[in-house]
Amino acid sequence: MLRVLTLFLGLLLAVPAFAQSSLYDALAEQTAGLKKPSSKTIETVISSLQDSGAPGVADFLTKLQSKEVWYRKSDDKFFFVATDDKKTYRLIDIQSGEVVAEVAKKEIKQIKPNSGVRAKIDGALVAFRLTDADPAVRDAALVGISRDPKAKDLAPLSAALASETDPDLKARMERLSRVLTVSFGDTTEARVAAIASFDGDLGLDARAVLNPLVTTTLKAAPEVGAGENVAKTLRLGNDISEEDAFDLLVASGLAQAEPTKGDIKAALKANIIGDTVGGMNVANLGTDEARLAAHMALAASGAVPAILTSEDKAALLASAAYYEVYAEADPAVTAAAVEALSSISTAVGVSQFIDLVLDGISLASIYFLAAIGLAITFGVMRVINMAHGEFIMMGAYTGYVVQQIIPNYTVSLIVAIPAAFVITFAAGVAMERLVIRHLYHRPLETLLATFGISIALQQIAKNIFGTQARPLTSPGWLDGALVFNDVIAISWIRIAIFVLAVIFFLGLLFVLNRTRLGLETRAVTQNPRMAAAMGINPDRINMLTFGLGSGIAGIAGIAIGLFAKVTSELGSDYIVQSFMTVVVGGVGNIFGTLAGATMIGFLQKGIEWFNPSNTLAAQTYMIIFIIIFIQFRPRGIIALKGRAAGD
Amino acid sequence: MAELLEVNGISVTFDGFKAINNLAFSIGYAELRAIIGPNGAGKTTFMDIVTGKTRPDEGSVLWGEKSISLLSKSESQIANLGIGRKFQKPTVFEDQSVRDNLMMALKAKRTPWAVLFHRGSDDETVRIEELATEIGLKDALDRRAGDLSHGQKQWLEIGMLLAQDPQLLLVDEPAAGMTVDERNKTTEILKRAAKTRAVVVVEHDMEFIRNLDCKVTCLHEGSVLAEGSLDFVTSNKDVIDVYLGR
Amino acid sequence: MNGLLTKFLLKNPSVLVFLGALALFTAFVSVGSEAFGWGFISTSFVKTLGKTLCFCLIAIAMDLVWGYCGILSLGHFAFFGLGGYMLGMWLMYARTEIIVQTAMSNEVIPPTDQEVIDAIGTQIFGVVGGSDFPMIWAFAHLFWVQLALVVLVPGILALVFGWLAFRSRVTGVYLSILTQAMTLALSLYLFQNDSGLRGNNGLSGLQNLPGLDDVSQDIVSMWFFWASAFALGLSYLLVKLITESKLGNIVRGIRDDEARVRFLGYNVEGYKLFVFVLTAIIAGIAGALYYPQAGIINPAEIAPIASIYLAVWVAIGGRGRIYGAVIGAAFVSLLSTWFTGGQAPDIPLGIYTIKWVDWWLVLLGLSFVIVTLYFPKGIGGLFDRLVRKGDA
Repeated sequence: MLRVLTLFLGLLLAVPAFAQSSLYDALAEQTAGLKKPSSKTIETVISSLQDSGAPGVADFLTKLQSKEVWYRKSDDKFFFVATDDKKTYRLIDIQSGEVVAEVAKKEIKQIKPNSGVRAKIDGALVAFRLTDADPAVRDAALVGISRDPKAKDLAPLSAALASETDPDLKARMERLSRVLTVSFGDTTEARVAAIASFDGDLGLDARAVLNPLVTTTLKAAPEVGAGENVAKTLRLGNDISEEDAFDLLVASGLAQAEPTKGDIKAALKANIIGDTVGGMNVANLGTDEARLAAHMALAASGAVPAILTSEDKAALLASAAYYEVYAEADPAVTAAAVEALSSISTAVGVSQFIDLVLDGISLASIYFLAAIGLAITFGVMRVINMAHGEFIMMGAYTGYVVQQIIPNYTVSLIVAIPAAFVITFAAGVAMERLVIRHLYHRPLETLLATFGISIALQQIAKNIFGTQARPLTSPGWLDGALVFNDVIAISWIRIAIFVLAVIFFLGLLFVLNRTRLGLETRAVTQNPRMAAAMGINPDRINMLTFGLGSGIAGIAGIAIGLFAKVTSELGSDYIVQSFMTVVVGGVGNIFGTLAGATMIGFLQKGIEWFNPSNTLAAQTYMIIFIIIFIQFRPRGIIALKGRAAGD
Repeated sequence: MAELLEVNGISVTFDGFKAINNLAFSIGYAELRAIIGPNGAGKTTFMDIVTGKTRPDEGSVLWGEKSISLLSKSESQIANLGIGRKFQKPTVFEDQSVRDNLMMALKAKRTPWAVLFHRGSDDETVRIEELATEIGLKDALDRRAGDLSHGQKQWLEIGMLLAQDPQLLLVDEPAAGMTVDERNKTTEILKRAAKTRAVVVVEHDMEFIRNLDCKVTCLHEGSVLAEGSLDFVTSNKDVIDVYLGR
Repeated sequence: MNGLLTKFLLKNPSVLVFLGALALFTAFVSVGSEAFGWGFISTSFVKTLGKTLCFCLIAIAMDLVWGYCGILSLGHFAFFGLGGYMLGMWLMYARTEIIVQTAMSNEVIPPTDQEVIDAIGTQIFGVVGGSDFPMIWAFAHLFWVQLALVVLVPGILALVFGWLAFRSRVTGVYLSILTQAMTLALSLYLFQNDSGLRGNNGLSGLQNLPGLDDVSQDIVSMWFFWASAFALGLSYLLVKLITESKLGNIVRGIRDDEARVRFLGYNVEGYKLFVFVLTAIIAGIAGALYYPQAGIINPAEIAPIASIYLAVWVAIGGRGRIYGAVIGAAFVSLLSTWFTGGQAPDIPLGIYTIKWVDWWLVLLGLSFVIVTLYFPKGIGGLFDRLVRKGDA
C-alpha cells in the first residue's frame, strides 16, 4: 500500500508546477490550525492550502482525513507515518514519499480530525479532484459523485464546470450539475429549471433522480398535516378499500390491530377450560362463526380484548383522512418532476417501441434463417423434412468442432460457414437419394421417415457430444452491442444475423430468379413432366434443391449457435417455429417465408412485451394465434391463387 | 318455373385470368345436354361452381322449383339437394368393394350416427343389384374397385351417381379412354338416365356427342359461344373458328 | 342390440380371437402376479404390462384417426396427458386431503373447512410457491366430476381444435404440423409454474389410491391392469364396430379421396370431427389409466416427441389394421423399456462398445425409416401375408 502511495506521490511531483509555493510553506502558514483542527477553523486552513496551489495538497488532505498525518513535536513538521510494530514509527516525507527518519511514538503526535472536520475536508477534496490536472482523476471524481450524489458536491461541481476544458468531461459535468441541482438546488426556481431541462431525456440518471421526487407514501391521519405535499387524497371505499384503510390506521397507530383468524384460534386455545372455551364446547369450534362467538364470550368476561363492532369500525374509519404524500416537500418541484417524467416516459415509450421493433427484426431474421431452407424444400418439392432441425444442429456442431481445431475465432468462423454448408449439403443429398426419392407423392410417409432420421441424428449427436451444452464462441468484434441510448441497444451478433438473413434473402432471390438452376427449379415445381420433356432432369434438380435447403440450414445452425448454446436439441427447439413460419407465410415462395418470419418474430416479441415475465406463455399464445390465423388464411400470408395452388 | 338449374351472369377470375366470363346456362328437369369447348374454355370450372367447389365472383346459381341459391351451400349440401358429379379422372374408392362403393353412394341418411348404426336393408340390397345390372357390374359386386378395368371404373362412378338418385348429373368426360363397345354402353346408360333426370355431359369426342343426340352448348373463354343441335353448333362460324384456330 | 353384437362377432371372428387372446393374457398375468398367483411376475412388471396395455389403447385410437381416416395427428399424446392430469388431480387432492385431515385431527380445536383446504393447497402448491387453488381445481374433490373431465377435457379440446382445423380445410402435412403445434403449445403452457398444475413438477404420488393405503401395491397394480385390459378390449370392440360399419367405409373413403366423399353428399368435416373427438376421448381414457400406474405425470410426457413415437408404434405395427396398432405399441414400447432399462447386453466392438441405452433411439429411428420405405404395412402387413399364404 505504502509503495503504491509513494509512487503516486512521485507522479504528483512530476507534474510541472507553476506559480505555486511548496507544500511545506503552505502547511507552515497554517500549522496551528492543522495541529488541532476544528470544524470552525478548518475551512480557512483548507482554502489557504487550496489558494497556495501547492502540489500534493489533495493527497495531504486525503491522508489528513484518514488520520494518517502526524506532526513531530520537536519542530511541528508534518509527516505521514508508518509502523510495523507500534514501537518505532517511520516518518515519511509528505512530498517525496521517502522515509526520512525512524522515531519513537512519544516524539510524534497524530492529528485526529473529528467527523465535522472530516466532512469539510471531504467537500474540499471533491473540488480538488474535479479540478485536478489529470483528466482521469476528474473522470473518476465525476463517476464517484454520480454514483452517490450529495448536496455538498454541487458547489465544487459548478465551480469546476467553469474551468473545465475537455468537452466530453465538461458535458458530463454540466449534466451532473443539473442532476445535483434537481435534488439539492438552493432555490425552487433553480430546481424547477433543472428538472425542466430533463424533459424527454432518456438517461437513466435523469429518471433515477426524478423518480424519488414523485414517490408517494400512503398516509392516514385525522387531517392532512400542514406543509405536507399531498399528491392525492383518497376517498374511502372508492380509491382505497376499507380493509386497506383500516390496515393503514393500524400502521399509523390510530387503531388497534384486529385479531386475525389465527390470533382468535390462539386466544381460544389459551383459554380452554376443561373442554369448553367461552362457554362453548371445543369440539364445536370447527367453523369461523362458532369461534367468533366463543371469542366474543371470552371478551365479555374480559379474558381477551374485544373485537370492534362494525359500527365502531366504521366510525373509526370515517374519522381519518387518507392521502398520498410526496417525499419531496416542495409542490412546485413535484409538479415539474411529474411533468418532466411524463415527457420522459413518452420518449422512453417511443424508444422502447423502436427497441421492440429492432428485437422483432432480429428474431424475424433468426426465424427466417431457420425456415428458409425448409421453405425451399417444402415449396419446391412439397416434401416435409422433419430432420431440418437436425441439419441446423449439425451446422452448429460443425462450428463447434472447427473451433476446437482452429483457435482463432474469426478464422474458425470463416472456415466453419462453408464447412457447415458442405456437410449439411452432403447430408441433405444423401437423405434425398436414400430415402426421400422413394417416397415422392407420399407426403405423410416422408414426414414419418424424416422423423425417424431426426430421432436417430439427435441421438447420435447426443452420443458423440454428450448432453451438456457446447459453446460456439463468437469473435471479439461481435461482442457487445450497438448502443443508441439508454433504452435502444442491439447486440452485434444480432446485427450480423440480420445481415446474414438479408444476404440469404437476396442471394436466394437471385438464384431462383436469375440463374439457370432457378429456372429449372421453377419449371420442375410447376410441371415436373413438362420439365422432364424439355430435357431438365428433375432428379438432379430435386437433389440439388434438397441439398441447397439443407446447406442453408447448416449455416443457420452456426448463426443460431453463436447466441444459443449448442445442444442436440437445438434443432427441435426451432423446428415447430420454422414450420409455422413456412405455413403462415405461404408455401412456395421466399417472400412468403420473409412475411411469415416477420410476422412470427414481431408477434412473439409483442406478446413478450405484454407479458415480459413469461416467455413460455408467450410461445403458447403465439401458437394459438397461428392456429387461429390459419383459419382465415389457410394458404398463408402470400398465397398462390387459383389453379396453380390447387390440390 | 320450368328450369331445374339456372345459372346467370357468373364470372370467376384466377390471378387475373378470367376462367368464366358472364356465363348463362340453364337446363330443364329431364334433359340431356352436352357441353363442348376447347381446353381452357371453362367447362370444368363451370362444374366446380355448380357443385360448390369454387365460388364465383359474381352472378347467381338457382336450383329447383323454389329457386334456391346454391352459392352459399357447401359441396355436401349441394350434393344432397340432388346434384351428382363425376370427375374427369375416374374416382372410386379403390380399396373397397364395388358393393361398398355403391352402398356409400346410395341415397340414405348421411349423419355419422345414422351411418354408424346402418344395417343394409333388403330394399337397399335389391337397389344395389339393380344399379349393378344397369352399369354392367352385377358379377363384380364383391370385387375390389381398384381391380376393375378403366371403363368399369367409369361405369362404377356413374353407378354411384345414379345411386345418389340426383335430379342433375354432371358428367365430366365419361368416355375418355374407353373402347368403342364401352362407349356405346356408356351412351346407353346416360340416355336412359336422362329420361328421369337432367344430365350434363362434358366431352371432347364429337362422335360420342353425336350418339347422345341432344342439345349442345359450346363454351369458349368462359362464356357460351353457341347453343343448339350438334349440327347447328358445328356449322356455327364462331365455333369453327375456335376449333380450327384463328 | 345384443343380436347385433352377436351377428357382428360372427361376421368378424378376428375380434373374438383378439378378445380371447387378451383374456388369456390377462388370466396369465393374474395367475403369475404376486398379488393373486404364484408371483413369478413382479409387481413392477405387472405395472409395465398394464402401462403397455394403455399404450395399446391409445395406439388403437391413433390407428383409427390415422390409419383409417388419414389424419396424421401428432397431438394424441396431448389428449392422453390431459386425461392423466384430470384423474391425477383427484388422486392427488383426495390423498392430500386424507393426510391433512389425519394431521389436523390431533389439534385441540377442530379445523374449519377453509383451514383444511388451505393446508391441502399448501401441501400441493408449496413446490411452486403457492397455496391457493387455481380455478381449474374447483372440482378436484369430486371424483365423479374429474372422471367425467377425463373424457370431457380431451373431447372438448379436440372438438374445438378439430372444428377450427377441418372447417378451414387444413389437410395432410399441414394438419400434422398444426396438431404438433397444438401439442407444443399445451406442453409449454403446462411447463409454467402458474399453469395451476404444478409446472414441471407435475402431479405425483398417483399410484396411491386415496383411502386405500392399507391395500398393497401388488393388488392395486392388478386392479389397474384389469381395468386397462378391460378398456382395451372394449375399445377394440368399439373401434372394430366402427371400422366394419358403413361409417368405416366412409371414413376410409375420406382417407382415400376426400373430395369424392364430399360430392357424394357427406359432410366430410363432421365425420373427421367425429373420429378426431372419439379418438381423443379414447386417448384421454388411456392416459387416465396409465398415469396411476406410472405414479407421476409431468408436462414432458406430452411434449410433441411423445406423439411422434405414437405414430412410430402404429406405423411399425401396421396402419389400417387395428390389431397391427396393438402389436406395434406393445412390441416397440416393451422393446424400448428393455433397451433403455439397461437390461440389453452391450455389444463390445473392440474399439467401441455399443451401449443400448445410448444407441436404442438411433436403432429405432433408422428402423422406422426402413419400415416406412420397405414395409409400409408394418408388422401387421407381414402377418397378413402369412395368414393369406396359409389360406392358399
